[in-house]
Amino acid sequence: MTEITEKARIGAPAIDGFTEEGENLSPANPDNSPLAGASAKSHSHGGGVGVPDSSRAGRLTSYKVEDFPVLTGREEDWRFTPLKRLRGLHTQALTGAAPSVAVTGPEGAERPAGITVETVGRDDSRIGSAGIPEDRVSAAAWEAFSEATVVTIPAESSIEPAVGISVTGSSKDPSAQHIVIVAEKFSKAVVVLDHKGSATVSQNVEIDVQDGADLTVVSVQEWDDDAVHASSQQAKVGRDAKFKHVVVSLGGDLVRVTPSARLKQTGSEVEMFGLYFADAGQHLEQRLFVDHAVPNCKSRVLYKGALQGENAHTVWVGDVLIRKEAEGTDSYEANRNLILSDGARADSVPNLEIETGLIEGAGHASTTGRFDDEHLFYLMARGIDEKTARRLVVRGFLNEIIQQIKVPALEERLTEAVERELAAGNF
Amino acid sequence: MTDQVDQRVQDAVGSTDVPDTTISEILEKNPELHGIGNYEYGWADKNDAGANARRGLNEEVVRDISAKKSEPQWMLDLRLKGLKYFDRKPMPTWGADLSGIDFDNIKYFVRSTEKQAQTWEDLPEDIRNTYEKLGIPEAERERLVSGVAAQYESEVVYHQLREDLEAQGVIFLDTDTALKEHPEIFEEYFGSVIPVGDNKFASLNTAVWSGGSFVYVPKGVHVEIPLQAYFRINTENMGQFERTLIIADEDSYVHYIEGCTAPIYTSDSLHSAVVEIIVKKGARVRYTTIQNWSNNVYNLVTKRAIAHEGATMEWIDGNIGSKVTMKYPAVYMVGEHAKGETLSIAFAGEGQHQDTGSKMVHLAPNTSSAIVAKSVARGGGRSAYRGLVQVREGAKNSKNSVVCDALLVDTISRSDTYPYIDVREDDVTMGHEATVSRVSEEQLFYLMSRGLAEDEAMAMIVRGFIEPIARELPMEYALELNRLIELQMEGSVG
Repeated sequence: MTEITEKARIGAPAIDGFTEEGENLSPANPDNSPLAGASAKSHSHGGGVGVPDSSRAGRLTSYKVEDFPVLTGREEDWRFTPLKRLRGLHTQALTGAAPSVAVTGPEGAERPAGITVETVGRDDSRIGSAGIPEDRVSAAAWEAFSEATVVTIPAESSIEPAVGISVTGSSKDPSAQHIVIVAEKFSKAVVVLDHKGSATVSQNVEIDVQDGADLTVVSVQEWDDDAVHASSQQAKVGRDAKFKHVVVSLGGDLVRVTPSARLKQTGSEVEMFGLYFADAGQHLEQRLFVDHAVPNCKSRVLYKGALQGENAHTVWVGDVLIRKEAEGTDSYEANRNLILSDGARADSVPNLEIETGLIEGAGHASTTGRFDDEHLFYLMARGIDEKTARRLVVRGFLNEIIQQIKVPALEERLTEAVERELAAGNF
Repeated sequence: MTDQVDQRVQDAVGSTDVPDTTISEILEKNPELHGIGNYEYGWADKNDAGANARRGLNEEVVRDISAKKSEPQWMLDLRLKGLKYFDRKPMPTWGADLSGIDFDNIKYFVRSTEKQAQTWEDLPEDIRNTYEKLGIPEAERERLVSGVAAQYESEVVYHQLREDLEAQGVIFLDTDTALKEHPEIFEEYFGSVIPVGDNKFASLNTAVWSGGSFVYVPKGVHVEIPLQAYFRINTENMGQFERTLIIADEDSYVHYIEGCTAPIYTSDSLHSAVVEIIVKKGARVRYTTIQNWSNNVYNLVTKRAIAHEGATMEWIDGNIGSKVTMKYPAVYMVGEHAKGETLSIAFAGEGQHQDTGSKMVHLAPNTSSAIVAKSVARGGGRSAYRGLVQVREGAKNSKNSVVCDALLVDTISRSDTYPYIDVREDDVTMGHEATVSRVSEEQLFYLMSRGLAEDEAMAMIVRGFIEPIARELPMEYALELNRLIELQMEGSVG
């Protein structure tokens, strides 16, 4: 070896994938700029310069797109999202035709009596009652929507059966959509948001759970393979109210759901569940936020995911913030991922920020892995062949979420959909 | 309390000919110093060299450092490259608030004595006093440690290695001397684990590094007793940029211990070290740090190890002091059956932000890693666990577990957990678990009913909480850790 090549090696990294500038941990958004210093650092948070946000509550919120910096993919809340596949949701005006909205009963049955469905303009007082956009794509939808659908569960009513809101896309132009769900005081209902067809849509769903109400919102994403869907679902939870939120993401090219629950009055209880099943090439992302701002509330989070196929990618980020005032909070969140084949990637980030010591308890857990061989062994020892046994294990794993929905027809449909996913993966 | 502190500061600084008026001014201008009260290691020696050292950073300073050390050209080139990256990389936008660092007001190189002392008696008296306060001579006399590399300001002034280790071929030197004596090892390994542009602070360290330890353990050699180094920042606004390189050759074993203390100063100082460790096939390295910087030090350290086939790397990381610590010891498991382990304890008191954690990257099949992190926050302090576990494609049958526990002892402190888990392989087992709990009334009542005062009871509960980590430490460190926890817990009740 000549002396020149010997000297050129000095200070050269010895780890695969390392360059002189360290490593780039965000392959979803490779940045070729020579000044891409920030991306070389692991866990880079936030996009701005200066003092980091002191907590999750410090994140910028605004109705205006221009308040948010242009996305580069290095921002903490976008670092896992392949921006190129957003099909312009983050760069273009969202002027396309929004997916159609039809309010029915469960699985397209007749609409239950008692609820009010309205189509309103931007100036309606209920718009903006539950949340302010937290990212650029959501703010873009806020600026662009022309009319919103408002579904109201009247006070002290108990609505049976479930309310279905079918959202059906038919255009690929980037579009905006706004839906408001209001559960008035002491009402009780289950509302299913059902997404189908093909669309490129940024959606804001506001959920106002008033004092003493008991509301379940299920958001099912069974899009066609080419759909791109960014959905910000923000809930404001009132005194002694109960709110259950279930996300089911199965179809679509890129689906990014960002649900949040803000506990603003004491005594409320929030449960957030999620199920996602990513096939080859699919990007399914869920970022949730539970904001404990007042004392004596309870939250439980459980998201379960399965991945199969080359470049199936799931992201789960769970932010739980227990503020200084939120004494007596009881909180737990968990994420479980089951990787069924090679080439898939699961990211799991359960964040927990606690600003007071006077809590009942707080914790989180995250597991990612393949099958438990013991489960398989147990079933096979009882005469079940391996293929059936594997399917039974996956079905059991995901069924824990499906059974939270409590709408029999929908539970059946989703169980079948999971079966189809497993069959398609020749699992 | 305040009078007591004044007295202590006066006692401590009295020997340095600083007029009393200055001290009261300092305390007046910096009321937070009262809060540091019981900081046992808070004193300052007279320091002529430090007073004259220049502040600020530019190419000239870097060239000057390199020239003063008579370094080879390639090291100067590397330093200049580091400076270039440092200038162009932005400050991190995550983690702790670093806006208080004034890079132009830092002395990047201070030379304390002209040449290295050969024996303890050769050291200047004030430096000897400093180390006596740190307890080093006792440790040396009792042969509890096998070698002491005491980093006083930027260069190692005292260095002795037991002869039997030398006979085994173990090299334990300060990094500057090692570069002169073993340039071939440096050319191969320097910057190979932490590249020059890895992050802003690693770049800064590459540009201005000075001091640190160099350890080489030959094939099959087991160093039975821990190697130990002590670091201390003594000059006001003194940056400490030590660079440590540890190479454990095949089937060897070494335990390296680093302890840090720094006296109190009126303006904030920066400590930005880089530690690179190469653990070769079948070797095992354990690296223990108990960091007890005074409460105005920004402690921004990059620590990373490569573990080859069948190798084991263990980080034991205690963070008690400093104003801000951002430190995430990493293990890159590049060979099959490599193992990484981090035990971490963080204690954030009043005005402190401990943002610590660990990073485990699985690059080869059958690798396993474990992180156990415990943190205690009190008096409005903020402690955070921030970690990354990554399983790259091909790292089949990898296993990882992360357990974070946080203990909250009052209502104004804060505890956060930011665990990142990124799995790109199906055949793995990963788990993360965190619990945050507070000291219960029952626990306190139980202990107090047995005659303990409330603060004693609280300290005992905290000691019990960190016991799993304390027991991994050598005895004298475990004792020191317990003492530090007690000091930290004083006045935490009521």
